[in-house]
Amino acid sequence: MTIETEYAIETQDLVKIYKTGKVQAVNGLNLRIKQGEIYALIGANGSGKTTSLNMISGALFPTSGSIKVLGYPIPAKRRLITNYIGLAPQEYSIYEDLTLEENVRFFSRIYGMNKSEFETKFTELLQILRLEEKRKTMVKNLSGGMKRRTSIACSLIHSPKIVFFDEATVGVDPVLRSFFWDYFRSLQDKGVTLVITSHVMDEAERADRIGLMRAGKLIAEGTPEELKKKHNAETVEEIFIKLSEGEVINEE
Amino acid sequence: MKNKMKSTEKEFQPKNLAFSMRRVMAIALRTINQFRRDRRTVALLSIVPIVIMLIFGLAFSGEVINLPVLIDNQDSGLGTLIVDNLVNDTRVTLTNGTYEDGISQVENGNYYAVILIPSNFTTSILEMLAGNLTSAQIFIYLDGTKPTIRASLLGALRDAMENAIGGNGVRVVQTLAFGGAEFSGLDTGIPAVIAFVLIFLLVIVGVITLIREKIQGTQDRLYSTPLRSSERLLGYVIGLLLIATIMIALVLIFGVFVFGAKVQGNVFLLIFAALLFGMAHVFLAVFLANFAQNELQAIQFAPLTAIPSMALGGLFVPTISLPAWLYPVSYVVPLTYGINLFEGIMLKGWGFKELWLDFTVVAVMCLIFFILAVITVRDRMRD
Repeated sequence: MTIETEYAIETQDLVKIYKTGKVQAVNGLNLRIKQGEIYALIGANGSGKTTSLNMISGALFPTSGSIKVLGYPIPAKRRLITNYIGLAPQEYSIYEDLTLEENVRFFSRIYGMNKSEFETKFTELLQILRLEEKRKTMVKNLSGGMKRRTSIACSLIHSPKIVFFDEATVGVDPVLRSFFWDYFRSLQDKGVTLVITSHVMDEAERADRIGLMRAGKLIAEGTPEELKKKHNAETVEEIFIKLSEGEVINEE
Repeated sequence: MKNKMKSTEKEFQPKNLAFSMRRVMAIALRTINQFRRDRRTVALLSIVPIVIMLIFGLAFSGEVINLPVLIDNQDSGLGTLIVDNLVNDTRVTLTNGTYEDGISQVENGNYYAVILIPSNFTTSILEMLAGNLTSAQIFIYLDGTKPTIRASLLGALRDAMENAIGGNGVRVVQTLAFGGAEFSGLDTGIPAVIAFVLIFLLVIVGVITLIREKIQGTQDRLYSTPLRSSERLLGYVIGLLLIATIMIALVLIFGVFVFGAKVQGNVFLLIFAALLFGMAHVFLAVFLANFAQNELQAIQFAPLTAIPSMALGGLFVPTISLPAWLYPVSYVVPLTYGINLFEGIMLKGWGFKELWLDFTVVAVMCLIFFILAVITVRDRMRD
């Protein structure tokens, strides 16, 4: 597959209304994420981050609007595109009654990888994620942070071009988190696009660009510096609180 | 200061350390509250016991009844009297026929027995009373594969003879069908265990396996991978069928080598029947998994599927013995055909020639459940 589009992800007027409960989770989202970018989608719980990721990754169909991933329309071409994306969901979403290795091997097989491809990549990931010792451990006996890293290993095993980390660094200690970011940068150097969601604001400051979501749409977007300048704030958290207060006042 | 501390201790200690009914009630009320929220469980728990009571009550309302029996009465005297008594016996349903034809009808399962009262029966009785003969004879050719059925058939005949002529001195000459096949409780139990394993375990294990995937979130995760829903469905089926095959093999090996059970028919045909029957239930499990959100709801499928089908599918009493209005239901219970196949092959030594209809029905059920599974298997998250 040759990729000639500038944008890894483009969405236009993306809307999702869940049939059960009639909840409008995403309300006209317009995203443009460049290839090789680290993009942080931040917002409070329920602001539509996860729903957006699920639609972009082809797991959830939108109510209206359009999505393009690597230039291909989603969900129409999701069978093709899912080979090039990796998603680590908010919940661990791995098999508790399998070992770490069995989990990652399962996903490698889903992506059609052969044994030697798996071995090479898996050894690399174990080292990066500092899980070498836990290779044969049953997932249910791992700590929360280790389960998180196992889930990340499952989403990276097939060397995807776009990676979605939904609250990936929750439950990960600060030392490891900093290590993660070094790894994110090394992925970026290889041309991988990273989309991370978070409600931890200082996390977002490390991204190339930030999108602030509220009630299913973007309310602010830019590099951390641009945003701070524009909103006359010291930190991203400050911006977020300012904008949120504005919304609350507007709602009233 | 010291005094103040002491009084605080006094205030707190008894309240927190003593056994507290308030805490007990907190647990009790919370349990009820959670239970109340699960509407389906509430509905099931109130309906299922009644349904099961009804089904079991009706299916076990006494002994085995309505067994189809052919009668060849060549005697116009006392023989007629015996036949009249048999007609009034609910355990059997009589049809007139010839003994020779009756034998093949029993062999192919249309009748459970054929009774021959020879033309010299009345004469023999009179001769016996006169002291010239020691006994008169009645011949019965019967299906001895199930002790309950055999007991009912012989019981009906004995009672009829007793009512008609006092019964003394009449010898009932029994010939068992299917090469003299005669089974004890254990032998007759093995086909039932196979059916149980396939229906109960496969449906429950299957549904729970799928539900677990839903709860763990791995199902949603798989939607953003290249995995197709057809691949997922086929994968589940192969995995679960392999487990079922091992379970059946265990039951057979244990039954045959440890308990000495007999398999009259072809073992390979039996395995084929079990796999076909198992496949139908794996598809059923995939279909049913759509309707359960957690393990508790999955387990509730057990009383809803396995128990009625055991009662109505002929596991405990032959379907023919069910009340007339309930009897047609047995035709739509998959277990009916499973029992026919497993008992037919194992106990009666039947082959495809006798069982083609049951094989066809199970194959059609397999197809129906497959279609239901295919049209309901998800390939993306719930809208």
